[in-house]
Amino acid sequence: MRLELADFPVKEIRLGRTFRYQDGLLEVDGPALEEMILRDGRIAEASLAVVRPGDKVRITGIRDLVEPRVKVSGNGQVFPGILGPVEAVGDGRTHRLSGMTVVATAAYEGTVRAGLGVQRSALLDMCGPGAAASKFGALAHLVLIMKLRDGLSELDAHTAIQAAEFQVARRAAETTLGVEPSGVEVYDLSVRRPELPNVVLIQGCLTDDHHVHSGVSYYGLPIRESLSTVVHPNELLDCAMAVNATRGIGYFPITWDWQNHPLVLGLYRDHGRRLNFLGMILQRIRYETFHGKEVIAQNAAQLAVTLGADGALVTWLGSGNAFVDVMLTVRACERRGIDTVLVTYEYGGKDGVDSPLLFYVPEADAVVSTGSRDRWLELPEIERLVGPYERVQILSYPGAPVAEAKGRLTLDARDMVIGGVDNWGKESWLCNAY
Amino acid sequence: MSKELEKAGLPVALVSAMYPVAEQVRANRIVKGVSIPHPCGDPSLPPELDARLRREIVQTALKALEAEVKGPTLFTPNMTVSG
Repeated sequence: MRLELADFPVKEIRLGRTFRYQDGLLEVDGPALEEMILRDGRIAEASLAVVRPGDKVRITGIRDLVEPRVKVSGNGQVFPGILGPVEAVGDGRTHRLSGMTVVATAAYEGTVRAGLGVQRSALLDMCGPGAAASKFGALAHLVLIMKLRDGLSELDAHTAIQAAEFQVARRAAETTLGVEPSGVEVYDLSVRRPELPNVVLIQGCLTDDHHVHSGVSYYGLPIRESLSTVVHPNELLDCAMAVNATRGIGYFPITWDWQNHPLVLGLYRDHGRRLNFLGMILQRIRYETFHGKEVIAQNAAQLAVTLGADGALVTWLGSGNAFVDVMLTVRACERRGIDTVLVTYEYGGKDGVDSPLLFYVPEADAVVSTGSRDRWLELPEIERLVGPYERVQILSYPGAPVAEAKGRLTLDARDMVIGGVDNWGKESWLCNAY
Repeated sequence: MSKELEKAGLPVALVSAMYPVAEQVRANRIVKGVSIPHPCGDPSLPPELDARLRREIVQTALKALEAEVKGPTLFTPNMTVSG
């Protein structure tokens, strides 16, 4: 499997009356895109906005972010199983508009009122401390502002938001057809050097199998309780992984994160130089019994052994008890002789004095921290709002206090800021020891 | 919570499906629970078997309360009460 990813960097986005990419300028036909979105009767209102780094803007109601991509050769199309049929992807050539995202924002009440199934949305500031707290503060964004029809089920809301978002992203990327890219990266794992160590990425995935959408999907199929499997990293680059588009949460990777998985890209960069990258083990975590957690840990480690791994990076997404599955996986790998490094965010509480992790095993002797998700964040008053909400709930429980979105906001954790938690080590952090 | 209650002089039996986490935070009397959403029973069992399982777990917890322990100790209910 060999994928060429051709890069078309975007420095400026313009809303106009045509579709065009030229020298870093992306122009999109706003009315045509709005008309396309509104063809879905579940979406009552739709409009578009452009924001850029440094704008005195706060985006509200964020559900998901995606990088525009389109396949120009090879099997299938981007977002397989969602925008088109289930066809194996990861081969051929794909175009990407880098430096920008399509942001899906939507006003949606939801029918679930409490618990993990409740709809949530996040914020993004384009200036000040809020922008500095998220990797998305430095990118340009084409923002879809949608209002969903009242009374939609969670599944209808998800599919409506996601289809609008992905269609707009693919349409934007189609402006690059026939244009010369600024660079092309080749992603090919077929040649291994026997003298180098074999390294696998084990990606733990919390999913809620009792919800309509479990949280993470593969070729459009929500991942429920299942044993571990092997995914080719090129499938991620062709957008085979996506998320529940009714829940934008800072500590939950979004579609953009799967397309730009920093550990996948990092291992790819070192492939054939320092190591042989074997691929990604996708491991469903959050088993509800300790027995289940032990089994899934053994299962992922066994798969790593079968693939011939000498080393493993273990990382995860989610929160809470799923981390027990993760630590048991580190232990299971180490006990089978695989050198294992854990990559995780920390808790630590608002002031950084609480326990940083939920659970420990002595075998976890190499851990990379990607920073704390718990630190306070003060967002100053902002000049302009973009998005469906002028008032936001800072916490998600029913009846939680509502604040003016434009005003000064005190967040006691990073959950409300999209990209506010660095799940997989995309960013560089400075650590101070006191 | 169990540690704070014990500091106040009340013995505590902590029923938990994540008993290794309970051991890690050094709870003294830990009773192995069924599952995170339902530590004290199993709603997938027929009602009469679930009742037997719940009774077994509570009785194990009561035995744990009576036991002298020095540090985290795991008490395991007989989960195969269907026989």
